[in-house]
Amino acid sequence: MSGRTISDIIIDAHSLDEDRSALFRRVSVDAVLGHDATTALLIDDFERRGLSIWDKSKVLLTNDHFAPPATAERADISNKFLGWARGLDMPNLMLDKGICHQLLVEHRLCQPGGLIVGADSHTIMAGAVNTCATGMGATDILFTLATGTTWLRLPPTIAVRFTGALPPESGGRDVVLELLRVLGEGGAQYRSLEFHDETSTRLPQDDRFAISNMAVEIGAKFGVFAADEVTEAHCRDRDGLGPGEPLLGTPVRPDADAGYERVIELDLTDLTARVAKPWSPGNVVPVAELEPTEITSAFLGSCASGRLADIRDAAEEVAGKRVHPNVRFVVIPASVEVFKQALRAGYVEVLTEAGAQFNHSSCGACGGIDKGVLGAADVCVSSSNRNFRGRMGHWDSRTYLASPRTVARAALRGAITPDLYREAQ
Amino acid sequence: MTSGTDGATGPVEGRVWRFGDDVNTDVIHPPAFYSLDPDKVRRGLFHGYDPTIARDLRPGDVFVAGRNFGCGSSRETSIRAIKLNEVGAVVAVDFARIFFRNATNNGLPCLTFARPADLELVEAGTRVVLDPVAATLTCADGTVVELVPPGEFVREIWAAGGLLNLLPTGMSAPES
Ligand code: SF4
Repeated sequence: MSGRTISDIIIDAHSLDEDRSALFRRVSVDAVLGHDATTALLIDDFERRGLSIWDKSKVLLTNDHFAPPATAERADISNKFLGWARGLDMPNLMLDKGICHQLLVEHRLCQPGGLIVGADSHTIMAGAVNTCATGMGATDILFTLATGTTWLRLPPTIAVRFTGALPPESGGRDVVLELLRVLGEGGAQYRSLEFHDETSTRLPQDDRFAISNMAVEIGAKFGVFAADEVTEAHCRDRDGLGPGEPLLGTPVRPDADAGYERVIELDLTDLTARVAKPWSPGNVVPVAELEPTEITSAFLGSCASGRLADIRDAAEEVAGKRVHPNVRFVVIPASVEVFKQALRAGYVEVLTEAGAQFNHSSCGACGGIDKGVLGAADVCVSSSNRNFRGRMGHWDSRTYLASPRTVARAALRGAITPDLYREAQ
Repeated sequence: MTSGTDGATGPVEGRVWRFGDDVNTDVIHPPAFYSLDPDKVRRGLFHGYDPTIARDLRPGDVFVAGRNFGCGSSRETSIRAIKLNEVGAVVAVDFARIFFRNATNNGLPCLTFARPADLELVEAGTRVVLDPVAATLTCADGTVVELVPPGEFVREIWAAGGLLNLLPTGMSAPES
C-alpha cells in the first residue's frame, strides 16, 4: 500500500470514524469561515431549529460582500447578518475589515495541518499555509456550525511540482493560469491539488495564496502547499513567535511513497505572463499571443490578488506614469491590514498619483456586487479569479484575467497587447 | 411527483432542458439576483443566458447537462432558484463538487450518466421520467438510460428531505 498524501494525513488526523476506508468520512473541523452573503442564507434555519454554535471561538465571520452596502436591500441583508452575529456574541466578528479569505489567513485560526470549511468556494485559499480548507454551501456550513463536524470524501491527489526559477516579471497568477491552461476548468474536480515548491527562487507567500485561491477554478477540493520554510516564516511572523518557540500548528508533508493519481511538473523558468480570455478561467493564452484588446476598465483586487505584493507590483509599474485616459483603474486591497501596509509603503500614493482609485476592502466588482460593475460595452482586465459571463456586471461585458503586473501595464496602455512585456514602457 | 424537502424521492416526470459543459453558478443564477426574497431568486434562474427559461419551466422539468455542471460559487441561491422553479432533478456527465453537495443537501436529486455518451440520447424538449433511486431515465421513445445509482448516504439525505433534517441524528456515521 502506498503512503499518504497531505490531504490523507490531515483528514485522518480529523477523522471521527473508526473505519478509515469508508467512502464518506465524518471529520471534526478546526475553524469555520462565513461572510454576510452566504451566512445570511442560513440564519432563518438556524433560528427556526433553535440551534447553537458548537464553539464560537472557532468561527470567523465578516461582512465583505456588502461592505458598505450599495442598496437598501443589501443593507437589510447586512443588518440581518450583523444582528445575528452580535446577538450570539461571536468573538471573531470582523466588521468592515476586508475579504473573508484574506482575514482567515491573517488569523491564528488558520494553521498548518488544519482542516477548515467556509461558506464560500475560495476558502480553499488557506491551502497556501498548508491547511486543508474547502468551500461549502450554506446548508453544509449550518450543519458544521451546529456540530463542529462535516462529511468528506477522501479525494485522490494530484501532485504539482514547481521547478526552475520564476522570472521576476511573472508571479503566482501566471503560475496558476498556466496550471489552468494545462488542466482545464474542472481538470482537478474532486481532487486535492498538492503543491510542492521546488523552485530555486522560492514562491513567496502572497504568490502561493493566488495559486491556492484559483485551485478551485480547476475544480479542486483542496489546493494545499507542502509545508516548508516559507510556510513556517509566514506563521511565525503572523503569530508573533520567536525563533525558538514552537509553531501553533502542525506542518504536514506527504509520506515519501505517497500515492498520487498523477504528478505534474511545471518548470517555471520560461513562464511568461498569461491571460484568461472571456468567459472561462481555463481559456488561457500567453499575453504575447493575444490579439490586441482595448480595455475600458482595470481591476486590481479580490481575494485572488489584492495583497501587498500585488499592490507593490502594480505600483512599480505605474510609478511616474499615467493611467490611459480611456481606462478606469480600481484598486481594492484585500484587507484593511493590507491597505495600511500599502499606505505605509507609499504604494497607495504612487497608484493614486497615476490615476488609480482605491475602494474600501471588500469584494467590490469581483462578484458584480459593487462600485466598478461593468456595463455592456466594458472590457475589463482583472486580477480577480473568475471571468464567467455576466459575473462582473452586464451579460455582454468581457473580462480578461491576469496578474496584477499585467493589469497595471494594460491600464497604462489602454489595452492588453502582445508586446506588453516586450517593449520598454 | 417532484422531489422536495418533504423527503420525496419518487420518480420525476417532465420536459428536458439541455445545457452544455462547464455551466457555472453565475450563469445559472446571476449575482444581481442574489436576494433573500424568494420571488427575486426564482426569477433570476438563467436570466442572462435566456430570460425565458424561468418563465417557461414547468414543475418536474429536468435539466440535462454535460461536464462540470455548477462550477463556481458556493452561493446556495443557485440551488434555491432551481428548486423555487420546481425543477425535478439535474442529470449531468458530472457535477462540480460544491454544487453537488448543495443540491443533495437541499433534496434536489443530481445524477450522472452511467455511460457519458448517453447524454446524446436525451433530447431537449422531450418528456422523460426519471427515477432517482432506481437511477434510470426513461426517454419519450421508451429508451431507458442508466444513471449512476446514488450512494447510501445521498439517499439518506434525500429521504430525510435534506441534510438539516439529519441534524438530531446526524452524529451517526453514514453507511458507505
Ligand atoms: S473577492 Fe470575489 S471571489 Fe473572492 S470572496 Fe469576494 S466575490 Fe468571491
